[in-house]
Amino acid sequence: MEGFLQALAAGLLIGAVYGLMCVGLGLIFGVMRVINFAHGDFMMLGMYVAFYLFTAAGVQAFFGNAVGPFVAILLAGPALAIFGYFVHLTLISHVSGTRTASLEGEGHYAQLILTLGIALILQNGGLIIFGSVLASIRTPLSSSAWELGILSDVSVFINKARGIDAVVSLVIMTLLSLLITRSRIGKSLRAAADNPTAATYMGIDVDRAHRVAFALGCGITAIAGGLLATNYPFHPFVGLEYVIVMYAGVVLGGMGSIIGAFWGGMTIGLVQQMSTLILPTQLQNAAIFVVFLLIIFFRPQGFFGRMVERT
Amino acid sequence: MLRIEGLSAGYSAKPVLNGVSINVEAGQFVAIVGPNGAGKTALFKTISGILQPSGGQIMFGDADLLMVPPAQRAHLGIAHVPEGRQVFPSLTVMENLEMGAMTESGRRDWKQNIERIFEWLPVLAERRGQFAGTLSGGQQQMLAIGRGLASSPKLLMLDEPSMGLAPSTADFIFERLIDIRKQSGLTMLLVEQRVAEALESADHGYVLEAGRVVLEGNNETLRADDRVRKAYLGM
Repeated sequence: MEGFLQALAAGLLIGAVYGLMCVGLGLIFGVMRVINFAHGDFMMLGMYVAFYLFTAAGVQAFFGNAVGPFVAILLAGPALAIFGYFVHLTLISHVSGTRTASLEGEGHYAQLILTLGIALILQNGGLIIFGSVLASIRTPLSSSAWELGILSDVSVFINKARGIDAVVSLVIMTLLSLLITRSRIGKSLRAAADNPTAATYMGIDVDRAHRVAFALGCGITAIAGGLLATNYPFHPFVGLEYVIVMYAGVVLGGMGSIIGAFWGGMTIGLVQQMSTLILPTQLQNAAIFVVFLLIIFFRPQGFFGRMVERT
Repeated sequence: MLRIEGLSAGYSAKPVLNGVSINVEAGQFVAIVGPNGAGKTALFKTISGILQPSGGQIMFGDADLLMVPPAQRAHLGIAHVPEGRQVFPSLTVMENLEMGAMTESGRRDWKQNIERIFEWLPVLAERRGQFAGTLSGGQQQMLAIGRGLASSPKLLMLDEPSMGLAPSTADFIFERLIDIRKQSGLTMLLVEQRVAEALESADHGYVLEAGRVVLEGNNETLRADDRVRKAYLGM
């Protein structure tokens, strides 16, 4: 009983961060239909940006060890958004958007190769610049816990850093959904994704909408990466470990659905943690994909994907 | 208002438009008719910038349209109601209309525009919270027209609003368009395969065949023309 609740709590906490990570890719891949295999490596950059902001740029000295990491992580978001914006402007825009709208496969083949190339550059560039030593964003909160007494004799321990990670994820997720569903810019992003040609007729600059979505997606995933880094050490090749999980989450949630990507990520976090109850930890990732296959078998469009034809 | 001169365009190397010249004066209702594949939709796509012309000129007011990026053309006052409706399926009816109002004039006149649109096309008011992808074809066509009107356009371009609709629905939409034009005095450019209806309500018409204007004139001239009577009106 206690073990189950403990795994459930751990799953929900990590699931919230995975959810946020998947939402970042969901904007780019699910909504804008641009394949970005470098997304895990953008996340890796986000982790290092947060790490250096915290340790070297004075955030630690100014905000202290408890608040400092989260300030640095939140600052890594805009930094990676700007980086993503320029990567899109200089590279991705040549193989996506209106330029490839009339091509077979909408430029997906070129996107695949280009972003794999970017991934390789980021990984090996990271190795040169950051080195291969494991880094982590240490906070004293990572090694202390809140004890939640659920029943008189059953209590669950919540790692403080992971608890705050989950709360930050939920807050950012809420802000993002409001932006996408309510704001003018959010609606125009969705319109541009639904039908780029018609969006152009409305006066929406579709390529600019794509760029904004790409930047937003990079920033969101960078923040999720920073949050993960408070508990998991990272290295320049860490993106590979996460990028597959991200794609699985987006597909599980349903292509084109932001909230779906979040639940997809949440599901993966839950399965990963709960599987440790019955399986050896080495099989965590296998468990994820068994569950993935099962869900896709019964619901091929994912949780929130709709079976509507795209015009 | 819209002056097209010697316009040529095509998909890849295949020419679809061959030296087309068309003139739309402010306040006019101009119809372009012709068979399938005559280049009617290509003409609209060229005006909206989706298709690059290989020659010719398009003037909209004082602006050389070919120098204006496609996404900016709506902001000049051109509303394009595309062939096959092309509403945004995952947006609600209301959000679709809001997308129509992305232009500055659309934002400024939003309140009065939306009132008039709901008056003209009441079904949109009833369904305002529904996803556009779940509407029927006729309703989607009305939404596409409403979306065009929401931008407060100077010129409304309609590409086969009757396509794929039941005859009674198509008739209804035609009547609405004529009402809208009467009440608003909006300049309209219509492409249609329903030649009789189109020529009846338009001030001026062009017959497009194989990428060329083969005939033009006011509606009496066209409807009296032997070729038009035989080929399109079945008389």
